[in-house]
Order: sequence, then C-alpha cells, then structure tokens
Amino acid sequence: MDATDSRQMEQSQAGFLKVIEASLSDLVLAADIHNREIVLRAELAKVAEILLALRDGQALECRQLTDVTAVDWPERPARFDLVWQLLSVRYNQRVRLIAEVEEGEIVPSSVPIFASANWAEREIWDMFGIFFSGHPDLRRLLTDYGFEGHPLRKDFPLTGHVEVRYDDTQRRVIYQPVQLVQEYRDFDFLSPWEGMLGEPDSAADQPAEAEDGETANG
Amino acid sequence: MGDMQIRPLTLNFGPQHPAAHGVLRLVLEMDGEVIERADPHIGLLHRGTEKLIENKTYLQALPYFDRLDYVSPMNQEHAWALAIEKALHIEVPERGQYIRVLYCEIGRVLNHLLNLTTFAIDVGAITPLLWGFEERETLMEFYERASGARLHAAYFRPGGVHQDLPDGLVEDILAWADKFPDFIADLETLLTENRIFKQRTVDIGVLDTEEALGLGMTGVVLRATGLPWDLRKSQPYDVYEKMDFDVPVGKTGDCYARYLVRIEEMRQSLRIIRQAIEEMPDGPVLAQNHKITPPRRAEMKQSMEALIQHFKLYTEGFHVPAGDSYTAVEAPKGEFGVYLVADGTNKPWRCRLRGPGYYFMAAVDYMSRGHMLADSVAIIGSLDIVFGEIDR
Amino acid sequence: MGVSDTRNEAALNAAPLPPGADQDMILRAVSDEITNRGFVIASADKLFNWARTGSLWPMTFGLACCAVEMIHSAASRYDMDRYGMLFRPSPRQSDVMIVAGTLTNKMAPALRRVYDQMPEPRWVLSMGSCANGGGYYHYSYAVVRGCDRIVPVDVYVPGCPPTAEALIYGLLQLQKKIRRTATIQR
Repeated sequence: MDATDSRQMEQSQAGFLKVIEASLSDLVLAADIHNREIVLRAELAKVAEILLALRDGQALECRQLTDVTAVDWPERPARFDLVWQLLSVRYNQRVRLIAEVEEGEIVPSSVPIFASANWAEREIWDMFGIFFSGHPDLRRLLTDYGFEGHPLRKDFPLTGHVEVRYDDTQRRVIYQPVQLVQEYRDFDFLSPWEGMLGEPDSAADQPAEAEDGETANG
Repeated sequence: MGDMQIRPLTLNFGPQHPAAHGVLRLVLEMDGEVIERADPHIGLLHRGTEKLIENKTYLQALPYFDRLDYVSPMNQEHAWALAIEKALHIEVPERGQYIRVLYCEIGRVLNHLLNLTTFAIDVGAITPLLWGFEERETLMEFYERASGARLHAAYFRPGGVHQDLPDGLVEDILAWADKFPDFIADLETLLTENRIFKQRTVDIGVLDTEEALGLGMTGVVLRATGLPWDLRKSQPYDVYEKMDFDVPVGKTGDCYARYLVRIEEMRQSLRIIRQAIEEMPDGPVLAQNHKITPPRRAEMKQSMEALIQHFKLYTEGFHVPAGDSYTAVEAPKGEFGVYLVADGTNKPWRCRLRGPGYYFMAAVDYMSRGHMLADSVAIIGSLDIVFGEIDR
Repeated sequence: MGVSDTRNEAALNAAPLPPGADQDMILRAVSDEITNRGFVIASADKLFNWARTGSLWPMTFGLACCAVEMIHSAASRYDMDRYGMLFRPSPRQSDVMIVAGTLTNKMAPALRRVYDQMPEPRWVLSMGSCANGGGYYHYSYAVVRGCDRIVPVDVYVPGCPPTAEALIYGLLQLQKKIRRTATIQR
C-alpha cells in the first residue's frame, strides 16, 4: 500500500489492539486499553524495535510520532517514565508507549525512526536530564544559555536557583541567587477535610465524606 | 583562487525582529543568499508553564492555557477541560458543548485572521492587517461579552463553560456571520491572485504528506499537503459530530496552499458557527456537580452547603483519580494535546503540553534549506508560529 | 505649544488644548506673529517637549500575549497614528520601548541590548502584569520578576493583558510625564 494514500480505514480500538498484540506480543510487557486509550508498556531496550514495528507494521502504520515526553517519579527505583504518543492516521488510532528509565541510563534516540522526535528529545534532555545516544544535535532547547539543572525534575525548586538583574556598575545583566519578597504559598490540603477524594460518583460512599458533612453542620 | 576556503556566512535573525512573530532567534548559515542550515534558538519565551501547572490546582492551572497560544485562547482551554472531564468521567450539558464549539470556531477565525494578515505583512502587504484587525476587534467583543475578557477568557471550565451567554449575543454573532463572507472575499481580492504575493509563496517551503507526518506536522500544514486529517472530523469531541462542515485540503503543500486552506477554513468555521447557534438547546451550561463546578451565586446566599462547596472548590480544588491520559483537540494551528498524569491529589503530577507550533518550528530547518533568506520569512509566516505555545 | 509666554503656564503644562476657541486663539496668535514678524518665539524646552510628545515612536518589540493587544492598539480601530505614534522596527529610530509580555531570563540580555541601542531620550513602558512584576509567572524559574530589574521603567500599565485602550491611556500618561520634565537643565 502506498504510504501517502490518504484513505482512512475504520478500525475499532479493540481490533487495533489485537493487531498490536499479534505482531508485538514478544516485545511489549503489557498492552491494554485504559480510559479508551491504547497503552503499551515495554522495556527500554525494545523501544526502538517496537517503534519501528508500529511505524511499518502491516495494519498498524503509526506514521506520526505525535509527542515524546517524560514523567519524573523520584521515589521509584527506575525514576523516569518515557512516553511516546503515536498516531495512525490510516486507522485513526492513537497508541501510547511507556518505558521506564533509570537515572543516568542512556536511551537510544528515536530520531532515525521519526524525525519529529528531534526537538522532543532535546527538550527531555533539557528538562529531565535523560541522555539520548545517537541524537544528531543534543543541546539544551528551552532553558537559558548556561542554565544548570533540569527544571521538570521534582527536586528542582519551582523558583529555580538564580534570577537576573541589570547591574549598573558592570553594565550588563548578571545572575544572582533567588530572593523572593514572598515565598510561594503552597497549602497542604491532605488534612482531615478530605471531602473531595476520589471520583465524584463514588465519593458519596466514602467515610471521609460523612466526616466532612458533620464538620459542615457543626 | 580555486582552493580558497570559503566559510559559510552565519546570520543572526532575531530575537527582536518584526518578521520573527515574537521572540525567535534564528541562526542561519548562508551560502550567499541561500540558506544552508537554519538553527532556531527557542526558549526566549520559556516561562516554565509545565512546572507551574504542577504546582497549581487543576482549576488554577486553566488560565495558563489561554496564555499558551494567545491568538486563540479558548481552543487551548478546551483541551484542558476535556482532559479533566475524561479523567473524572463527567458529562457536559448539551448547551455547554454547543457554546464551546461556537467559541472554538470564533477562536479559529480569530487565529486565521491574525495569521493571514501578519503573513501578508511579512511578504509585503500591509492593508490586509488593517482590514483584518477590525474583524478581530468585533470577534474579541464577542469574547468579552461572554467572558468579560478580550483575550484571556478563562471561559471554558471542566464541566462546561463558566457562564451562559448574555441576551442578544447570538443575534449579534449571526449578524456578523452574515457579513463576514464579504470580508473574506475582499481579503481574497487583495491576496489570492496578487502577483507579488504568489511570487513570494508559491513553491516555497513545500512538504509532501509523508514528510509532514514524519515531522509531526498537524493541522493546516498537514492538510495543505493533501491529507484530509482533522480531529474535529476523525476524533470528534463535544458536538462536532453533529456539525456539517467540510475539511479543505491543499494540493501542493507550499506556503500558498496553506494560505488557501486557511481562507477556506474560515468559511467552514462560519458554517459551524451558524449551525451551533441554530441548534443550540436551552438548559444549563455547566455540569451540576458541585464538587467540580461552583454553585450559583444566588444559591450560596441561601445554602450553607453551597458556600462550603464554593470555598472548598476554590481553595483545595477537586481531586483527580490517579492515571494518565492524552487528550487532543484540533486547535486552529493543529493538534494541541495535553498529556495529563494525575496522582490522585488536587494538583497534576505532570502535564505535558503538545503544541502544534513546536513541531512546525522544529521543521523550519528542513523546510528552509536551499531557499533564499527572504523565503524563510514567508515559511515562518505561513507556518503560523506563536511563541507562547512553542516555548511554554 | 509654547508660544512666547503670553499664555498661562499651568494650562500649557497640563495637556494639549482641545480644538475650540482657546486653541484657535493660540493658533491665530502664532500665525499673526509669523506674518507680522517673520519668526516666532517659543521657549526651547517646551518646543522640545512638544516635538517629543507629538512623535513618540515605539519599537516593534512584542514578547508575548500583550503583543497582540499592542498590535490591536496600532491597527484600525484604536489607530495610534492619531497621536503620531508609529511603530519602528529598529531601536535606533525609536523613542519608547513597550515591554509587551513576559520577560524571561533568556531574553533579558537581549532586551537590555536593544534598550542600550535606543538613542536618548528614551522611555520604557511596561505593559501587562508579567512585565510589571512577573504576574501569573512570578514564581517560575525562568521569568524575570518585573522588567524594571533590567531597564528603568517610566509607566506601568496593569492588566493581563491590558486592553488596547489601556495601553493608549498609558502612552498618553507617558506624554504627560514627558511634558512635565524640563529638558534643559538650568
């Protein structure tokens, strides 16, 4: 089939998942539909192979890598989740691929497979400090020139470490440690007032709800 | 002379340049006047939105979405509202959905008006801007009448829209929609067959469908290559399913095709606007679940419970069950996606914002190679670059 | 315009006279003087201030959302040209810099450089809450908490974003401020 053929074919999500399971069963750790979205989990070493299979596979044709991003879970042994969002225009299906990455682990770049991964990976390097091997041009992308640290890691403070100011004597913009007039106000809401935990429909059944009601009446 | 080493000329374009559409810094390696390599330096408007969202409650994070692509604010809010609704499994009342669709399409016209007219300025025509911005003023008045703000509306909320439309607004929108086709026709007389405009745009920055998909292009840029891919049709959300409209596609995939697609999309948006107004039912505009949406002001004066709910909603906010989801909408520029990871608390654990312009900008290098310096301006103009969503 | 010193000082400092009998009188006095004597006498600093307020050329320097409102204020409905304000793309030709939008750490040196390139006298108008003090992005690691840390600011316009009307009001306030300053030190 010609790849530029714009015909779109309808394929149910369950059917699409079956195709994925059939062709990738030995590569992925888990494949299921969660919240009406197809989610695959895999080991990092298999990711390149899976991406290639998803792109070129018969009846898959995920031609577009919509996005690559990472999620930081500092208390987990493998600290990061790398997340690839793929889109099959032909079958009108989205697939999400998640792989765990340890801190300091080197990830093979997916730029040779999808050109759109280029900046996404640069951003992940910038924001999370995950290194990609084989990336054509892995520089920082969004943060300041000479920036230190990886801002989207959970241990990076929201206000950062440095701020800028123009210095009249040196006649240039200088960096200095952050001084805030007022700290960022962050309240702990995980208090006895746990009235709003859980989903709205099931919330009424929770004991915390009754407690909330009592407090309200009193 | 033959063995003389010729180093390419490096040209710094921006960050303060009127044709850079904001704060783009483009480092160009030139061979004479031909671009050999373009290295966009972005991040000059990087405000740390994703980090800030992690530190705010779900409702407090909503106005950040206005400020991403500040040319069509409500379309971004829509993605955030849909993402939360998906995670919480709440239904939006029918009227709320219609109002959202109506305002998304107004946002699309707003966006295309700004893009087409500033694009025209970039290639040398100033009149379209002066005409187009009068129409934008009219549309921003509609924004203001519904939400109170001309630009950053914070109008779409999880569960619907913040308030119902005031009396007389839909009639005025209809009256505007009757006149607007004449304006599009006028705009076309200035540009469509304009010899200079065509010389600057035809066969500049050509992409074919396969390249466009590989580079992560969505929206108008992808459709201009000939692929009728529109999330409003293929993965409809809210009441787009009931709307009758066509998806315009280009044939050539160059700057001129992108211009033509945008012009036609404005006409299609008008069709949707008319349908949305005609079919709009009566009823509530916001889900009546006061754990997610605020109670009415009048109710709060009477009921202690409503007062407490209001207080809790605006201090603690609501908790979203743990899990991740990817929600995408067809923003005027292309696919705007939100990858939301919730951990069960009142703040998002991670919120990835996938802006269409980010991938457009990444492709500038690929698209401008081998073109003249002046063509890079046309390419940037036709890609519809807005830095709010690229740098975030 | 400061013609001789026949007019009331306070009235001249306050605001340009609106069209009407008073304005006509001044204009007639000026044209009479020119036809009778062939020249006109005015105090130099008032003349300078008149020239400066009448041609405040802002620089096209949009940073973020506020830039949209800035374009709107220059476009057809609000039309800043009425006040002699034309956007100039080059800092060398402009008198006033409108900092329209969030100023980030990465952009700060570039902003300062552009400011340094502007010829004296120059003014800065900070537009919107991000430029005024960081605003919604105050606590971000990447944002300058107020553009007055980088350049001296003359007028702050509040709002997120300020409407085009608010921006024009701010520019009129700037004109007022310029009119109050004595150009020639005595």
